Amino acid sequence: MAASGGADQVARVLDQLDEADSTATLAVGRHRVDVTSLDKPLWPEARPAATKRDLLRYLAAASPWLLPHLKDRPVFVTRAPDGVGGKRFFQKKFPDAPSYVRSLAVYSPENKGAIDLLLVTNLATLLWLGQFAALEYHVWFSRVGRTPDGRSLGTDYASSEESVEESRLNYPDFLVVDLDAYLYSGKEGKGEEPRLHRKGFNMVRDVALEVREIALSLGLSPYVKTSGKTGLHLYLPILRDFTFDEVREMARALGEFAAQRAPKKVTLEWAVENRTGKVFFDFNQNVRGKSLAAALSPRMHPSATVSMPLRWDELASVYPTDFTLKTAAEHLALHGDPWADILGSKADLGAALGTAGSESGG
Amino acid sequence: MAERAIWSGIISFGLVSIPVKLHSATRSKDISFKLIHASCGTPIQQKRWCPTDEVEVAWEEIVRGYEYGKGRFVTMTDEDFEKLPVRSKHSIDISAFVEGSEIDPIYFEKAYHLMPGDRGEKPYALLMRALTEKDLVAIATITIRKKEQLCALRPREGSLMLETLFYPDEIVATEGANLSKTKVTAEEVKLAQQLITMLRKPFDPEDYKDTYREAVSELIDAKLEGKEVVAAPERKETEVIDLREALARSLKRSRGSKAKPNAPARRRTRKSTTGRKAG
Repeated sequence: MAASGGADQVARVLDQLDEADSTATLAVGRHRVDVTSLDKPLWPEARPAATKRDLLRYLAAASPWLLPHLKDRPVFVTRAPDGVGGKRFFQKKFPDAPSYVRSLAVYSPENKGAIDLLLVTNLATLLWLGQFAALEYHVWFSRVGRTPDGRSLGTDYASSEESVEESRLNYPDFLVVDLDAYLYSGKEGKGEEPRLHRKGFNMVRDVALEVREIALSLGLSPYVKTSGKTGLHLYLPILRDFTFDEVREMARALGEFAAQRAPKKVTLEWAVENRTGKVFFDFNQNVRGKSLAAALSPRMHPSATVSMPLRWDELASVYPTDFTLKTAAEHLALHGDPWADILGSKADLGAALGTAGSESGG
Repeated sequence: MAERAIWSGIISFGLVSIPVKLHSATRSKDISFKLIHASCGTPIQQKRWCPTDEVEVAWEEIVRGYEYGKGRFVTMTDEDFEKLPVRSKHSIDISAFVEGSEIDPIYFEKAYHLMPGDRGEKPYALLMRALTEKDLVAIATITIRKKEQLCALRPREGSLMLETLFYPDEIVATEGANLSKTKVTAEEVKLAQQLITMLRKPFDPEDYKDTYREAVSELIDAKLEGKEVVAAPERKETEVIDLREALARSLKRSRGSKAKPNAPARRRTRKSTTGRKAG
């Protein structure tokens, strides 16, 4: 696994974190990252409570696998300075970032101009984010990187909405499907989303296998990860031939097809009350600027879970809370990241649909 | 062999502090689970590798471990986490009193005998008597081996039990308890006997064991039932053709809505870059 910084740097950071009192200046390669309040619990309900030190340890230990999933993609983080359960901020802009933090100017229609979005390119940036209690790391499904399939796409992300639409940022690497069961455990408050429980997760798993079969039949290589909360995220890597709008429509068609095949399990209903008893197939994440928690991102779940990439053959035997800040890095070290080659597994969806005419005339 | 005290500290609630010692009261036993292919009933095979022994590990040898201390694991699942609030205290810190029946037995993880420490007999007796007369269980937090846990305190056989609330992958058998060999004074025993006599319906450890086992087996049933819903669907070729058409239609719909040229997908997108503005 290629890693920026390398295993030595990770080991040195882990040593520093272990030796630090509540405050330290971490040497991360040639960068310095000030960290404070290391023993502050950020996941106070986890067993044992997960502190900022645990978060930073995880970010460092997982960085050889985590950084590739963040590479070249605008990153949004969710900050919770007082930990899970406290106030949270969804942060996109970082005006006072240190010199080792990279950003990308992207045109924003709301701002009528370019805004700087965060790029995470190195371990120092991850630790800097962890220091101010960035608990979740959300990334775009499109990226500015060229390989393997973005050479002919535009690279002007800042000038105008039109320039973004013609750029790599408008051509996602994946068709994404967000699956969540609307089976209630009975412990939810009024209006609360369903909580994680066995029956609900089993149903999500069942639907994920269904969607996998559908994707395989199209010649796609589906990837699955736990959301880290109640559901599963399916990523279908595709060549960057389709815009977000096109991918979203195809995702909708995929969902409608899945719902047709398994009407008792799958729903695309927009009204939450109509989803009850089924798995919600959310195709609507396939939008430029929308994001899901990155593979290996920690989640703001009470148990300090991470969004864990899985092999399909282990899906049946795992549960979202198996993978936490305390366990995920070791799991990665032992088993590797099943998503490591996701960008090398892109399917030519245009060719797969060739029989329906999209390329037959060319 | 007398059980050694594994912890000593104080119970605190309100203005009262009670020096106490904690003794293990139970032995744990693993239940291992097999994964069954629901449609045919065959156990699923997965290759799990043990890097220490350099062998493939059979499912029967695998338990789910949560590292509760360095190199120490307990088996548990999410349900416990979500139901057990944790507070950071270093004493046994009583926060509430509830009826014993309010606590689902599924929560109980490990039982300890709480014995009065030096000069703790009187407040200990007071607490136990108050609990007995009110027929209530105290909910508290305790830190054992640096791990904070929610726990329940209740009178049992003339002493206080402390039960950490946990996931029952570890079945606790009460046979391991040997109360007669723990440090209990004659005075305490006499007091305990008096308090038990006062109970309208004396506590029966056999009843308690049955309830616990029932709860554990119910959980196992629920888990096995859960596995049954996992089955890979069969492929249906005819539907695949429909799907391709549906996808192609959706693509056309998307392009139509944006009034872009109806050109082949790949060619069009490659072309679109030629008109891009300078970056």
